[in-house]
Amino acid sequence: MTIVEQLDLVGEGVDRVDGPLKVTGAAHYPNDFSFPDLAHAALVRSTVAAGRISRLDTSAAQASPGVLAVITHQNAPSLGRASDTVILSAPPPPLQGDRILHYGQYVAVVVAGTAEEATAAARRVEAEYEATEPLLDLHDPRAEVLTDPFELDSSRGDAGAALASAEVTFEATYTTVDNTNNPLGLFTTVAAWDGEALTVHDSTQWPDALRTALAQVFGVPESGVRVLVPFVGGGFGAGLRVWPHVMLAALAARTVGRPVKLVLTRPEMFTGVGHRTATEQRIKIGATRDGRLVAIDHESTTTLQMEGDNFEPCASGTAYAYACPNVSTRDRQVRLNVTWCNSMRAPGEAQGNFALESAMDELSYELGIDPLELRLRNYAESQPQLGLPWSSKALRECYEVGAERFGWSRRLPEPRSMRDGDWLIGYGLAGVSFFWFQKPCEATATLRRDGTALVRSAVTDIGTGTYTVMAQLSAELLGLDLPRVTFELGDTDLPPGVVAGGSGLTAGLGSAIHAACRNLVQAFLDTVRDDPTSPLAGCAVDEVSIGRGRLHRTGSPERGEAYTDILVAHGLTELSAHGASTPADSREVGLAPAGPFGAKFVEVRVDPDLGLLRVARVVSVIDAGRILNEKTATSQIIGGTVGGIGMAMFEETVTDPGSGRIANATFGDYLIPVNADIPDIQVSFVGRPDRFNPVGVKGVGEIGLVGMGAAIANAVHHATGRRIRSLPITIDKLF
Amino acid sequence: MRVAVTLTVNGVDHRLDLDSRVTLLDALRDGLGLTGTKKGCDQGACGACTVMADGKRVLSCLTLAAQCEGRAITTVEGLAADGVLHPVQEAFVRHDAFQCGYCTSGQIMSAVCLLAEGRAGSDAEIREFMSGNLCRCGAYPNIVKAIREVRDRMGAGDRDA
Repeated sequence: MTIVEQLDLVGEGVDRVDGPLKVTGAAHYPNDFSFPDLAHAALVRSTVAAGRISRLDTSAAQASPGVLAVITHQNAPSLGRASDTVILSAPPPPLQGDRILHYGQYVAVVVAGTAEEATAAARRVEAEYEATEPLLDLHDPRAEVLTDPFELDSSRGDAGAALASAEVTFEATYTTVDNTNNPLGLFTTVAAWDGEALTVHDSTQWPDALRTALAQVFGVPESGVRVLVPFVGGGFGAGLRVWPHVMLAALAARTVGRPVKLVLTRPEMFTGVGHRTATEQRIKIGATRDGRLVAIDHESTTTLQMEGDNFEPCASGTAYAYACPNVSTRDRQVRLNVTWCNSMRAPGEAQGNFALESAMDELSYELGIDPLELRLRNYAESQPQLGLPWSSKALRECYEVGAERFGWSRRLPEPRSMRDGDWLIGYGLAGVSFFWFQKPCEATATLRRDGTALVRSAVTDIGTGTYTVMAQLSAELLGLDLPRVTFELGDTDLPPGVVAGGSGLTAGLGSAIHAACRNLVQAFLDTVRDDPTSPLAGCAVDEVSIGRGRLHRTGSPERGEAYTDILVAHGLTELSAHGASTPADSREVGLAPAGPFGAKFVEVRVDPDLGLLRVARVVSVIDAGRILNEKTATSQIIGGTVGGIGMAMFEETVTDPGSGRIANATFGDYLIPVNADIPDIQVSFVGRPDRFNPVGVKGVGEIGLVGMGAAIANAVHHATGRRIRSLPITIDKLF
Repeated sequence: MRVAVTLTVNGVDHRLDLDSRVTLLDALRDGLGLTGTKKGCDQGACGACTVMADGKRVLSCLTLAAQCEGRAITTVEGLAADGVLHPVQEAFVRHDAFQCGYCTSGQIMSAVCLLAEGRAGSDAEIREFMSGNLCRCGAYPNIVKAIREVRDRMGAGDRDA
């Protein structure tokens, strides 16, 4: 099967197909769904971080107006435990005992006729605790330390010996703080039971995993659980796990025998749906005087909640970032009485890249070599761990194009050497080699007699543009005009979809759609195989071309038939086909699977008299393989860049060191970038289609964020001569 | 305590009997089913709930419904006339000025008011006066482009509009 048009690296910048719904307020997010007899739930959270509940008095809450039920560990039924997913462990079901492991843990859920009644009654639940001293400090000697928790620790050569004999060595410790995902959409669950059947509207990034978990928690058949999520108000990783509040909403609905809506408050969003963990990272680098890396040793320590896991590999990416013969990477996690640690846009990469790319910048000053030149001298032409060629890599082009667009050559090497009036100017850069991630996915494609196509999979569009790019891809693969194709998602009645995470949705889902569309073309050819009147009779799938809703023999455009004519001739209303994708095997194809690559160039301006730090402009050049839609992909990179500026300069979730309470759990206190903080952001895409999946794509959802921390820190150093090794770079650290 | 209130929303009067604690935001969403206005923090810090009251932008999460008797409320559902998008809505689509779309209603309501107030004179002014509307997806640069384009199409007289 061939496609008529020649494929460009960067696909047309088509407006979002769901754009008109979103700008008119007609897109329905989980908390927009309602039922005629809907009841509302409100949560009561632990005010201590460790210990047990010693007394719980719910009588006042029970007696409050409109209250239907108050559920605590004293009256909650036994709930099952969901199995861990392929990426993250499942949080345990709530209200199953009196033990408290973190601040904000749920101790009761109150259900009432209205949200106001539930909220008011929840305040009347009296809880007392037998508190124990919480473990909250990464360095607490009493805390359990997990070594190599991801089984990604790596060692090649002898980093220790190479460091000892290196001509130049550099060593430093870098730290980052807790950040909270804070999608604008308050996470919501609306749960409705009908006997053993459960329908749930939820802010999830992975409907199938939610369905499985709820079936296990409530001991009901999975086939009776339906999860619906046509739109999500952002996720950034917060929707990857099935959180206790989701189970509580379903439990509340079952208890009161009515549908229940539970909307988290903004403060609850800080304790209930995960956060990016603080890190402490030690990096040692050895190099020759002329700037060849001889050794890197990278050890990362992150925090971890008391139960379950968190995938946060910060050091492991260093193993394939540069060509270097001796590399050792180690990740460790320390169990503390903190709220759940979880993925937040670019888990591990965001923090690990800050340490590595800051250290490379520091080394460049030690050596007196331009930071860009140092990176190019140590460019990893092949994947250093596997010794295989990358499935695609255009990082060199990212650097070259970025340097040109940014004007890197105008940079004066000395810190504090560039000025514009009162402003000190600093140029900084960072390189990014993002991890590869792809999981199995399924989809179906259907062509109907009216010439329209419906393509479906139970994935989510968390704002990335899945609705749009998958309709574009399907239109291309079936040879139809875009308006004739609809991509449907967000419903577990559809074929099992892949998680919207790890920058892996587009490759996994795109490959499944590729297979489904090919199978659909095959189904049309099967239909006409023995039809002597069809010009396509006996044609194999590789002998046809498609376009304009029609199949024809390659090279003979006149010998073909429209899809709709085939359906009519054979008395069919529609034809459907299923497609499934699994990631290729790197040994089999002889390629190292590549994630996206990028180069980030940043100009900061610092007014030392007024204590001001501003990002003045950003140039971001990305190799993400084939880009399906330039408009939405550019938005992903811009959005990631904004998130990266937040991590670099604003965001810090503050935990009270005595109580474990989160002290700044509002948008008034936890600072994220606002419009006035964000400068001009230039985005370009370079490279070639990736060779590890049939669509040629890599992910764009996270790489926009990665590298911003280091690029800003490096620019701040260039502007001021001050090296800041801890994020966020707030002015109190700078002046 | 219950209160009776008549809300005039997008030109239509609605007689409601409400719990006195109900905010304008919850009255719009839960009472009238106008879910286009969003709740992002319920604390007046994110701007997702921005609506117009007598032509001025207000945070509907910090406004009690009972205080809105006699005020003309306009929500995002009231911008498009006869299925034709408002120029700001159209520009938001064309410039991809949103991703998840959750903050978009509030951004658009603020943008419409900002243009009417003549506070969109420069990019810096747009950025400053749109800074009460948080966007976690990071669509800010495209939001600025969309507003700038509508301003330019409205012509130079917008400052006095």
